[in-house]
Amino acid sequence: MNCPRLKEWLEERYDLEGMKRLAKSKLIPEHRYDLWYYTGGITLFLFIIQFLTGMLLAFYYVPHIDFAHKSIIEIVTKLNMGWFFRSLHHWGAQLTIVFLFIHLFGTLLLKSYRKPRELVWVTGFILLGISIFFGLSGYLLLWDERAFAAVRVATGGAGAFPFIGGFIKAFLRGSMDVTGDTLLRFYAFHVAILPILTLGLIGLHILLVQHHGMSVPLSLQAEKRREIPFFPNVFYKDLAIWLVITGVLVTLTVFLPPEIGVKADPLAPPPENVKPEWYFLFLMETLKLFPGVILGMNGETIAIMLVAAAILFFFLIPFFDRKSALGEKSPLFTWIGVIYLLYFLTMTAVGFLS
Amino acid sequence: MRKLSSVKGFLSRFFPVRLVLPMAALLLLSGMAAAAPAPLAEKIAVFPTAPFYIYIVYESLVVFWLFIIGLLVIIRMKLREIERVHAMGADKDDPGAPLLQ
Repeated sequence: MNCPRLKEWLEERYDLEGMKRLAKSKLIPEHRYDLWYYTGGITLFLFIIQFLTGMLLAFYYVPHIDFAHKSIIEIVTKLNMGWFFRSLHHWGAQLTIVFLFIHLFGTLLLKSYRKPRELVWVTGFILLGISIFFGLSGYLLLWDERAFAAVRVATGGAGAFPFIGGFIKAFLRGSMDVTGDTLLRFYAFHVAILPILTLGLIGLHILLVQHHGMSVPLSLQAEKRREIPFFPNVFYKDLAIWLVITGVLVTLTVFLPPEIGVKADPLAPPPENVKPEWYFLFLMETLKLFPGVILGMNGETIAIMLVAAAILFFFLIPFFDRKSALGEKSPLFTWIGVIYLLYFLTMTAVGFLS
Repeated sequence: MRKLSSVKGFLSRFFPVRLVLPMAALLLLSGMAAAAPAPLAEKIAVFPTAPFYIYIVYESLVVFWLFIIGLLVIIRMKLREIERVHAMGADKDDPGAPLLQ
């Protein structure tokens, strides 16, 4: 499509040629680890899919305890292609978190967080936290007995945190227990507060990546390497990967549509063997390792504090790893990253199998 | 064989053989019904149930994958062309080139 008048109109107002030159002048290093660069783009693409499918579902979802469950059943059974978009949203969420974890561990093991990119790591880490909260809040919107029990356990666990636990629990639930207030609160988080925070943070994250350029692993910095322009070379590769991801996503959507359980009943006993979403399994298994009482203190509180400390340390790794900031190799932090990854994978597998 | 047929004849006199199978089936069913747990709540269909619709969905999935593979081939061809142009250096501006207009 060629619209010379529109082009002229735009060029009179904006420096389109300058933008084109900028896109062509942006160079991406080419090396044996450059596949990791694409994980960020995949995550961004999945976020876009989540926004679009979420908007479609929001047209029909009713955030009220009497109608929430029914409205989802109606979306799935009565709306044309409703089952497809709900399943797409569900699998999109799963894949987003999978790729966020891959992107995070890739960044950690390649030390892409090192000076001057600490803030890129910080914004990305916060985005992961927000995405996990996206998952938790979206899970409750289904308002079935499993989601209800899982959110009751998750918010109860947050309540075990010393000093501020009670406040966090009350803030999340909006009342003493998981009720209609919690549903409404989680809906507000899921469709308004978290999307705004996500958009802002994604914008900042991309801006920082553009500002600093792509990070090259320490082991390859001394080597002479080729650089390829972002547009069109990397852009086309990104497109190809996004197409494959779309295919995988649609295949999962069709073959494994998520089930809808029985409507939540706050007075009924929780169903047997309730498990949270897969990305909370490592946390659940960690909490199981601790006895009820340790040295006269609440075991759950100690476990929550230890997990929080481990996550805080993970978050602050760029500020602790002084060696890689100076451009030296830091095998200690590589091992720390490997241990974190193995622990996460093992505990998630144990959670699945138990 | 003779022995077997005589046993069969003896049995049929007191217990008609053709009733054995329906009775066994009835007993089995009644036993299963007694041992069965309480009926579960009806499972909500999260996927189309009409065979025609299911066929359309799977067919569309196949077409979708063919479309993706086609696009991947086109992108691959385009990338090769770009790399060839880069290798020739034909994408660089030549300041000494005459202006056609």
